[in-house]
Amino acid sequence: MSQFDPTIDLPLAAPPARVRGRVRVPGWLLLIWRNRKSRVGMVMVASMVMFALIAPLISVAHPNEFNLLAARQAPSWHHLFGTTDQGSDIFSQVAFGARRSLLLGFAAALLATGLAATLGVTAAYSGGFADDVINFFINVFLVIPAIPLLVVISGFMKERGTWTMVIVLAAVLWAFEARILRGQALSLKNRDFVLAAKSSGESTRRIVFAELMPNMISRIAAGFVLVFYIALLVDAGLEFLGLGDMTGTSWGITLYWAQVNSTVLQGEWWPFFFPGAALAFTVLGLVLMLAGIDEISNPRLRTEREST
Amino acid sequence: MRWFARRLGFYVFAIWVALTINFLLPRLMPGDPVSGLLAHLTPAQIQANPGIVHEFETLLGGTHNSIWHDYVTYLGRIAHFDFGLSTSNYPTPVSEVVGRTLPYSMFLVGVAFILAFVLGTAIGMVAAWRRGRAVDNVVVPVFMALSALPAFFTALLGLYFLGLKAHWFPIQHAYDSGVTPGFNWTFLSSAFRHSQLPILVIIAAFTGGWVLNMRTVMINTIGEDYVLMAQAKGLPDRRVMTRYAARNAILPPLNGFAPLFASAIGGLVFIEFVFSYPGAGLTLQQAVLGNDYPLAQALLVVLSICVILANLLMDILNLVLDPRLRSA
Amino acid sequence: MTALMEAPIDTRTSAPALLELRGLTVDYGGARAVDGVDLTIHEGEILGLAGESGCGKTTIANAVMQILRPPGRISGGSIVFRGEDLVGKSDEDMRRFRWRNVSMVFQSAMNALNPVMRVGDQFVDAMRAHERIDKKGALAQAEQLLELVGIDPARIRAYPHQLSGGMRQRVIIAIALSLNPELIVLDEPTTALDVVVQREIMQQVEALKQDFGFAVLFITHDVSLLLEFADRIAVMYAGEVVESAPAQKLGTDAQHPYTQGLLQSFPPLTGPLERLTGIPGSPPDLRNPPAGCRFHPRCPHCTRDNATLYLRQTAERPVLHEVAPGHSVACHLVEEGTA
Repeated sequence: MSQFDPTIDLPLAAPPARVRGRVRVPGWLLLIWRNRKSRVGMVMVASMVMFALIAPLISVAHPNEFNLLAARQAPSWHHLFGTTDQGSDIFSQVAFGARRSLLLGFAAALLATGLAATLGVTAAYSGGFADDVINFFINVFLVIPAIPLLVVISGFMKERGTWTMVIVLAAVLWAFEARILRGQALSLKNRDFVLAAKSSGESTRRIVFAELMPNMISRIAAGFVLVFYIALLVDAGLEFLGLGDMTGTSWGITLYWAQVNSTVLQGEWWPFFFPGAALAFTVLGLVLMLAGIDEISNPRLRTEREST
Repeated sequence: MRWFARRLGFYVFAIWVALTINFLLPRLMPGDPVSGLLAHLTPAQIQANPGIVHEFETLLGGTHNSIWHDYVTYLGRIAHFDFGLSTSNYPTPVSEVVGRTLPYSMFLVGVAFILAFVLGTAIGMVAAWRRGRAVDNVVVPVFMALSALPAFFTALLGLYFLGLKAHWFPIQHAYDSGVTPGFNWTFLSSAFRHSQLPILVIIAAFTGGWVLNMRTVMINTIGEDYVLMAQAKGLPDRRVMTRYAARNAILPPLNGFAPLFASAIGGLVFIEFVFSYPGAGLTLQQAVLGNDYPLAQALLVVLSICVILANLLMDILNLVLDPRLRSA
Repeated sequence: MTALMEAPIDTRTSAPALLELRGLTVDYGGARAVDGVDLTIHEGEILGLAGESGCGKTTIANAVMQILRPPGRISGGSIVFRGEDLVGKSDEDMRRFRWRNVSMVFQSAMNALNPVMRVGDQFVDAMRAHERIDKKGALAQAEQLLELVGIDPARIRAYPHQLSGGMRQRVIIAIALSLNPELIVLDEPTTALDVVVQREIMQQVEALKQDFGFAVLFITHDVSLLLEFADRIAVMYAGEVVESAPAQKLGTDAQHPYTQGLLQSFPPLTGPLERLTGIPGSPPDLRNPPAGCRFHPRCPHCTRDNATLYLRQTAERPVLHEVAPGHSVACHLVEEGTA
C-alpha cells in the first residue's frame, strides 16, 4: 500500500470532465476514481451491488426455504456457502441479504447526510445562538452511546420495518457527519465568495444550499460514505442482536440465527463466516473509498514516493 | 479554567438530555410498554405488590397525571437511582442488577480501550515519523483492516479460531462454572482468563481508529517549526519524535475520544453477546428482548454516564497536557 | 552605520573562512531549489542572504543543518565547515555538530518554541544533548542568557504562549547562544514582528556578536535591514546567487537588474522618500526554470532590440564574474558592459 497514482495531484475543484459519448462525469467523481484506494473501494462496493442485483439469478433456492434433510451442511458445490441448521442455503441468504443491507444502509446514509448537511452547514453559517444549539445537540449525540440507544429504541418499537429502521438510524447517526460538515463550513464561511453573496443580499437558505454546499461536495461525499458504512454495521449489528426487522432476509439475521443456535460452538464456521465476510467486504470497500477521499483533500497524508 | 467549567456545564446538560430522551422514548413509541412489562409477571406477583403497576407507570408512562408531573417524579426517582424492579430478575431491584453486571463491562472496556489507545498512538507516531517504512506500510494497514471489520465478526472469528480451534482462551462467560464471584484468587484468575479474548477483540477493533487519528495529526505536526528547531538543536531523533512531535500531536486525538469511546461501548454490546459475557451489554440486549424496560432504561442511562465520565477524565488529562488550556 | 563606514572592508573579509558552500545543489523531487551555490562566511562576519520567498534562502539554511524535509535532499556540492565537509557525515556526527557549531533562529517566532514545554526546559535539552551538565546548572545558565537578551530570568518557568512575539524571538536567540556556537543562522528572524521590534532585535544581535564573536548568516527578503546590519550581501534568484558584494557597495552600486529592483522595493532608511517600484512578474517554476538567464522573463533590459544580447540572455546561463574586489555579478549586461 505504498505506491499511489501520481495523477491525483489535481486540485479538488477540477472542472467537470467531458467523456466520450457526451456522458458527463462530475469532476469529483473522476478525482475519486483516480486515487488508487478509493478506486479499489469503489470496485469492491460496486461488485457487492452487482451481486445483490443478480441475486435471484444466482440463488439455488428461496433464501428462507428450509429442508431439514439438508441441514448443517458444510460448503459444497451445491451449497457454496453451506446450509443453516434449518437447511436453508446460506449463499442465497447472503445474496438476498445484500439487497436489504445495502438498500437500508444507503437510504439511512442519504437521509442522515441531508439532515447533517442542512443542520451542520446552517449552524456554521448562521453562527450565534442557532450554532450553539445545533452544536450542543451534535455533541450530546456523540456522548450518548449510539448502539445502546438504538438497542433501547428498537426494544420499544414493536414494528421494525425497513423504512422505520432507516429513519431511526438516520436520526441517531446524523451527528457524526454533522460535526465534520459544520467544521468544514466554518472554515469556508469567511471566504470571499460567501461574503460576496452575503453582501449582495442573498438569503441564508440560498447561501447554504447554492454557495456553501457545492463547495463542500467532497466532504459531503466523504460524510455520506462514513454514515453509509456505520449504518450498514449498526443495522447488521442490531439484527445480530435480534432487534432489527427480523421478518426478512439480511446478513444480520443469518448471523443472529447462527449465534442463537450456537452453531459456532459446534464447530460450524460457515453460518457466521459468509454473511460476516460479505458485510466486512462491503465495509472495507467503503472505508477505502473514505481513505482515498481523505488523501485527495489532504495530500500530505499520501505516502511519498522516493524521489529519483 | 473557564474552559473546564464550560465542559462541566456541557456534561451536566448532556446527562439531562440523556435522561429526558429516556423519559420520552416509551411515551412517544406506539404501544403500551407497561402491559408488555406486566405480561412477564404472574398475576400472583402483581397482587403481592399492588403498587407495582403505578411504579412502572411513573417510569414508562400511562399515569393519569400531567406529563410534567410525571417528569418531575421520574427525575426525582432517577436522582436516587431508583429504577424500580427488574421483571426479568423479579423481584430484584434494577439498581442491583446494574451493580452486578456493570463492573464486568467496565473492566473489559476500560482495560482494552486504554491498551488500544496506547498501542494505536504509538503505532501512529512511529508510522508518521518514518513515513513509508515498515510500520507505516505493514502494521498500519493491518490495524486499519482490523478496525474496518465489524466488531461482532472479529469476535466470532476470534471465538472460532483462537478459542475453539487453538484452545488458547476460554470462549464463554466471565468465569469458570463452579467458581463463586468474590474477592479471592480462584475467581479473579478465572475472570482474568475469561476476559482476555474479549479484550483482544476490542483492541483489534479500536486500535485502528487511534492509529489513523494519531498518524494524521502527527504528519501535520512534523511540519511545524518547533520540530525543525528541535532537530536543529541536535537532539536525539527519538527525543524529537516523542517530546516535540508526538507530545503536541497527541492533543487533537484526545478530543476525538468521545465518539470512539461511545462506539467502543456499543461494540461491547456485540462482543458480550458473542462471548455470553455477563456484562452490561449482554444484559441490555436480554432486557430489551425480554421487554424488561426498567432495566434497559437504567443501563442506557448508566452507559451514557460512563461515556461522560470517561470524557471528563480525558478533559482533565487534556488540562494536564496542554498549558494553553490552563490559562484559557 | 557609522561603525560600518569606518571599518575598512579588507580587514573584514580577510578573516579565515568558517563555512564554505561549494556548488551546493538541493533538489525537492523534480524541483532544483538550490542550484550550484558558492558562498563563504568568514569568522565573525555577518553575511546577508537576500531574495524573494522561494528563491532557496531557507533551503540553504536547512541544508547546512541537514534538516531538509523529504523529498528535499542535497544532490551535489559540499558544505565545508572549518575545512571539514559536512555532507556525508554520519547521523550521530551531524547531530553533535548541530547547535554546538551552528545554531539557528527560525522564521516564525510564534511556532519555533514547543508550545507544551516550559521555556527553561527548551534551553536545558539543547544543552544536555551536547554537554554533561545537570539540570540545575543548565537552568542557571539559561537564566543568565535570558538576562543577556533583556528578558526577566523568572520567565524561565513560562510557557511560550505567555510571552509576546518579540520576547519569544529573544528567547530563541538566547537558546541559539546557549552552546556558544561559531555561526548563527538567522532565517527571516523578524518577519513576523513589527518594524520597531525588528530593529531592536537586530541591534541586540549585533551587540551580542561583539561579545561572543560568532559569525551570522542573516537570511531575509528585507534588503534595507541587510544594508544596515550585514558586512557582505549575497542576492539569490531562483536557486542561484546572482550578485554578491560588500554591503555599502551593494547599496550604492548594485549591478544586477534584479538587485536593483530589490533595492527599489524597500524604502531607504535615510534620505528622501522615493517611489517604490518593485519588480514586475513572479519567480519562475523551479521544476522548469527558463533557459538562459533565469531572470530574463522579468528583466527590464532583456528586449529584442539587441539581437545578439537577447540570444545570450535567453540561451546562455550567466556565471558570476568579479567586477570589483569582492563584488561579483552574474549578468550578461555587465559582461557586455552595457549596464
